[in-house]
Amino acid sequence: MKVPECLKGVTGVDIQGPGVAYSFDVFGITINITETVIISAVIVIALTALVLFLTHDMKKNPEKKRQVIAEWAVQTVDNLIDNTMGKGYERMAPYIAALFASSIFGSLVSLIGLRSTTADYSTTLTWALMSFVMIEYAKIKADGIGGYLKSFINPLNLISEVSTPVSMSFRHFGNVAGGMIISTLLYFALTGLSTAIGLAVPIFTIGIPAVLSLYFDLFSGFMQAFIFINLTMIYISTAKSED
Amino acid sequence: MNLSFLSIDVGTIIFTLCNLLILFWVFKHFLFGRVHKILDERQNDVSETYKKADDALEHAKSLETEYTGLMENAKEESAEMIKAASKKAQQRSDEIISEAKSEASAILAKADEDVEREKKRAQNELRGEISELAVLVAQKVVEKEINEADHDRFINDFIENVGDLK
Repeated sequence: MKVPECLKGVTGVDIQGPGVAYSFDVFGITINITETVIISAVIVIALTALVLFLTHDMKKNPEKKRQVIAEWAVQTVDNLIDNTMGKGYERMAPYIAALFASSIFGSLVSLIGLRSTTADYSTTLTWALMSFVMIEYAKIKADGIGGYLKSFINPLNLISEVSTPVSMSFRHFGNVAGGMIISTLLYFALTGLSTAIGLAVPIFTIGIPAVLSLYFDLFSGFMQAFIFINLTMIYISTAKSED
Repeated sequence: MNLSFLSIDVGTIIFTLCNLLILFWVFKHFLFGRVHKILDERQNDVSETYKKADDALEHAKSLETEYTGLMENAKEESAEMIKAASKKAQQRSDEIISEAKSEASAILAKADEDVEREKKRAQNELRGEISELAVLVAQKVVEKEINEADHDRFINDFIENVGDLK
């Protein structure tokens, strides 16, 4: 990428996908152990440890703050499902919670300098496909296999069905990845600006990106995670009432 | 080495799916399962406590009714007892009074009798003395005019009377 004269300090802006740490072939398919895989595994391990810590040694009369936190989390998710989906979907709670936690922590790892797992399209596509399977399963369960297939007599329905996971995955990916790109660009721009006015240390890069990351990492991360689980819940709960 | 920015990687998809399912399982068993168990236990405890309180209230109410009934009965019983006792006392006093009356009348009757007897005795005594006196007076008056038989009889009577008197 050619850098304008005023951004002399910038040697290049390179926005790439996740790095590959290790790769091997299984039946001719290349399996990559990428940054995303490692970070999401670390997130799962950390969340498991957190859950085990929070729910360890719970008492009927809570003695420890961590039990209160665990109960609050569970009841919040239960209430959310109750309000959004209605009765009869209590079994969805752990899945919604897992999706939300994966999404939120996958986005927030960028705060400690790691690459967001949600800035990898494979991740959001997997979640969207998982939700898609559950939505279609709910529809088949509600209408029966015949009624489900009959709905595709109108080909527009097929398009709308397929567009659901595509739009969900691209919305989430696009927001996080876009935020990442803007942050990177801004960082380089500020570095270039610092160099252009003759500063030895790129002083502009100290405070300003942090303010921006407050929006792109914290706010947008929460928003996208919330939107994703809400869409999943709404699609599944409306599967019953749709014709 | 990096993947391209917009890539769909099979390995990432498989691992992400596994991660999601593992996290789902962990949440289901160790977060939701455990917390729901505790919440249910607490709920049961609360309902049990409420039930116990309700039972205790019911028990207290039934006891209250029971005791109120008992109190009512006791009141009635005591009133009856007082009534019976006063009745008995009245009866007894009546008895005593009538006994006393009859005793008094008996005493009076006896006193009358005594008086009558005394009177009779005094009359008899008086009569004897009067007849003696009459005989003596008559003797003095009619000394020789009394026939032999009458004379004898008078003498004998006199002797007898004197003997009696002696």
